[in-house]
Amino acid sequence: MMAYDEQRILEMLHEDEVSRHRAFECIVRNFSEQLYWQIRHMVLSHDDANDILQNTFMKAWINLDSFMGYSKISTWIYRIAINETLSFLNRQKSTVPLDTGSDDELSIADQLESDPYFDGDLTERQLQEAIATLPDKQRMVFNMKYFNEMKYEEISEVLGTSVGALKASFHIAVRKIEEYFNNID
Amino acid sequence: MKKGIKYNFDEREPRRPFTVPEGYFENLTGRIMASLPEQESVWSTTITVTPWMRIRPYLYAAAAFMGIFFCIKAAVGITSSENAQMADIQETTIYSDEYIDSFLETAMIDDYTLYSSLVETVY
Repeated sequence: MMAYDEQRILEMLHEDEVSRHRAFECIVRNFSEQLYWQIRHMVLSHDDANDILQNTFMKAWINLDSFMGYSKISTWIYRIAINETLSFLNRQKSTVPLDTGSDDELSIADQLESDPYFDGDLTERQLQEAIATLPDKQRMVFNMKYFNEMKYEEISEVLGTSVGALKASFHIAVRKIEEYFNNID
Repeated sequence: MKKGIKYNFDEREPRRPFTVPEGYFENLTGRIMASLPEQESVWSTTITVTPWMRIRPYLYAAAAFMGIFFCIKAAVGITSSENAQMADIQETTIYSDEYIDSFLETAMIDDYTLYSSLVETVY
């Protein structure tokens, strides 16, 4: 199995078909799991996260020739994943009926309770519910920092936002979540 | 940070409450790679350059040049014939101002003879 060497991978991406395939396989192996979790925290469902992850790598593969190596591979692939995730969430919002007062609709906490791939307790379900109330980008920053334990500098590179703005966004998100818990009951 | 809240970020360790189907990550790379479309034409297909492919750009350039040449030639031809007609008209006009006056003063002729004479002079 080939070790992940960014410089070597960049070279191989411009070589013959076999080398390119091997280089891309190395990229998939190196980033698929962390990308999966990033996506999963945003969309919550395993099936949706799996679909978005597949689409992310599909788009990266198709657009491989447009990647000139000006940014790191991780930044490039993260950006594709983020765009795919945000597009999915926008599509989802546009298909969900606006009448949210219906009794038939399940809250996120209730949906997660019946999800076989969720093993959190009530507080963790409520935490997910609280996170879901955040704006998409703020939610992404919170998940990257809190669950994926990324550094602000790494998040800044991926989202193209300053470190100061990210810190502010994260702290606002924390405060909103705390307020959400304060208002339960 | 506030005290007495139900979720305390200082006390709780971040824990990922999600799971995946068994063996999901073990097979993930293979599944993703298997789902990728063929991409041969984009990068590595070797193109054999035939003599026809080599001379084709020159032929296209020559055809374009010929087209432009004939267009210009046609435009110039039209302009020349227009100029020629204008010259005829100008020639006729010169005769009709002065020549007719002097002709009428010196020659005792009727209108028909005058007209015939002018036509013959012009042509």
